[in-house]
Amino acid sequence: MPQVPIIMPQLGESIAEATIVSINVKPGEKVVADQEIMEVETNKAVMGVTTPCAGEIAKIDAQVKETYPIGAVLGYIEARAEDAARFAEQAPPEPQGEVAAEIPGRNEEKPESGNGAHFQIDESAVRTSRVSTQDAAASGGLPVPAAAKGAGFLSPRVRARMAELQLTNADLAGIAGTGSANRVTIKDLENYLRQIESQTASDASAIRAGVADAMRRSWSRPLATIGSSVNLDPVLTDRKQRDPKPGPALYVLRSLALALAENPAAAAKLIGSRVLQSNSIDIGLAIEAQDGIIVPILREADKTSLADLATKYDELVALGRQRRISPEMQTGGIAAVSNFGTFGVEWGTPIPLPDQTMILGLGVGKKTPRWDDSKSEFVPVTEAQITLSFDHRSLDGGGAGRLLKRVIELLENPAQL
Amino acid sequence: MSITYLEAIREAQAKLLRDDKRVFIYGQDVGGTFGGAFKATKGLAKEFPGRVLNTPISEDAMVGTAIGAALEGMRPIVEMQFADFSSIALNQILNNAGTHYWRTNISVPITIRLPSGGTKGSGPFHSQSMESLYAHYPGLIVMTPATVEDAYTMLIDAVAIDDPVVYCEHKYLYYHLKADDLPSEGMPIGRARIARAGRDLTIVSYSAMLQESLIAAEEIAKEGFEIEVIDLRTVKPLDTAAVLASVARTGRLLAVGESFPWGGATAEVIARVTTEGFHLLDAAPARINAKDTPIPYHPNLWSTHRPSSKVIAAKARQLLRE
Repeated sequence: MPQVPIIMPQLGESIAEATIVSINVKPGEKVVADQEIMEVETNKAVMGVTTPCAGEIAKIDAQVKETYPIGAVLGYIEARAEDAARFAEQAPPEPQGEVAAEIPGRNEEKPESGNGAHFQIDESAVRTSRVSTQDAAASGGLPVPAAAKGAGFLSPRVRARMAELQLTNADLAGIAGTGSANRVTIKDLENYLRQIESQTASDASAIRAGVADAMRRSWSRPLATIGSSVNLDPVLTDRKQRDPKPGPALYVLRSLALALAENPAAAAKLIGSRVLQSNSIDIGLAIEAQDGIIVPILREADKTSLADLATKYDELVALGRQRRISPEMQTGGIAAVSNFGTFGVEWGTPIPLPDQTMILGLGVGKKTPRWDDSKSEFVPVTEAQITLSFDHRSLDGGGAGRLLKRVIELLENPAQL
Repeated sequence: MSITYLEAIREAQAKLLRDDKRVFIYGQDVGGTFGGAFKATKGLAKEFPGRVLNTPISEDAMVGTAIGAALEGMRPIVEMQFADFSSIALNQILNNAGTHYWRTNISVPITIRLPSGGTKGSGPFHSQSMESLYAHYPGLIVMTPATVEDAYTMLIDAVAIDDPVVYCEHKYLYYHLKADDLPSEGMPIGRARIARAGRDLTIVSYSAMLQESLIAAEEIAKEGFEIEVIDLRTVKPLDTAAVLASVARTGRLLAVGESFPWGGATAEVIARVTTEGFHLLDAAPARINAKDTPIPYHPNLWSTHRPSSKVIAAKARQLLRE
């Protein structure tokens, strides 16, 4: 009996390959048409591979955990002759002719003697690099990009000058380019540098430069922010009973630590295609320093009592005033807390540190009427806005939302902290 | 006094014959009354009897004989009727003259004059520019004078140099270029000259294309751009430092030559700048050469085959907008 190939199907737009998750049939097994015989996983979803026709599995070439391009042959089915004939008609024709025939302008026919047929370059094919994507797709080749002249193009010279002056792309944001497609030319850059020369300038402090570098690096990631409101009254009441008295930011930090400990999947960061789990729940607390912020890390915050966190925090603040917080005390950590409420700010979208996945922001508490169902009336509560900014590569809106909800729950029941 | 590029070459040879007993001129009809194919030796045979010698029509034999004379202590100047015909002597020039010093430690101080480049209606065998071919081979100096002054002093230098020199004189410049006076001294061989100072774009050129480039630069100056034009003077050795220094000033590079586009002097200029001065470039470098076909006879075809000031100006404008 003739054989019909089992093909990796087209699984959606822009999907080039898929990985075999499971194979549900063995050679010799009878199958019907459209029977799901394999599961494959793409970057979007898990999907099934079905049989093209009824018959008997002749052979399975595919292996579990291996990745195959769309159109790859995964195995064969022994099929009835009429089914096989049907698929033979659909098969793409074998490529015809020699590669040489594809050289632009080269005549497919041999030149006839005496008609002056010399080798000629077809200039219309050679002259322009602006082959349309459609043309390229039709010929089966790669789409050809236009020459690198866009607004984002930095010439070797501009790049060399930027490196010399330690400038980054962000520093060029203020320059309106005059080059092709408004790119910034070296003259634009030099003119800009001359222009800003007349302004009073001083060297940025090390901490300012450090913050700028960290924020710029962090901003290269897809960051998202979600927010909610939290009733701070329970925290404020609880706080009065404790000694030492932890600040609201520490309550938030402790809540976040516990929420992350409960949900380790959220306490991870993505590097390439690898998910790195945190060995311990270390959380930073943003402290304003002269000319910038420093974020010392409170280690194992999920395993440290609120009282111990308060003691450690006071030590860190004292060290911070003496500018004695070492770089080691600021590295690592999975998240940080920023209490911008101390500046009277209601809400904000803080940027996570570049080596961290998220940052929680706490706004200022304000007396707000809140509807009380049991009393059927509005009651005054001290409400604050709490925002969670996160690296969307690692965490989704749902995951972040559940995490924030859990933080709020803990904050509104501070006895658990 | 007004003196043409061609007269400068004749004057240089007269001075060489006068000042140095070792010098003689060797070529087809150089001793005739016309003075070679272009009058570059007119009158010299009469003034210097026995030292301006006619040869058979064999470029191979001419160069071979001259090499022998040079090895015996003479300083021969070989005149090719047209640069194109020097290909017949390639074996003598490249394999014998070019390698001799490196094989034997004995120099071959010959000068081969190549009437080069296109003129109207000259066609494929009387128009070619051979400098890129000779520059490719080690052991040769390749001169491409673009001015009357350089035509004079560089020919004198060529004879003084112990290495074999291929001296490419441009036929289009013979009568088109005039100077008031001949200098007693020129710039050192191997050093390029800033023919026109600028700040927006560097054009690197030589020989007749330098003149076209200068015309283009003047035209574009009216549009508010100042183009720096570098005259290489010798394509080998190539003054890389001068080219890089100019690109450092301007950030943009256009190399212009009259020889065919495949490889060659303009390609070498761009290769050196992109390898040694990539960080200096603010736009992709460009070059202009003749078309990659044999040189056409018809004046209209010829004028589009060779780079003109118009084509250079158009390319320069495009580069300035990048």
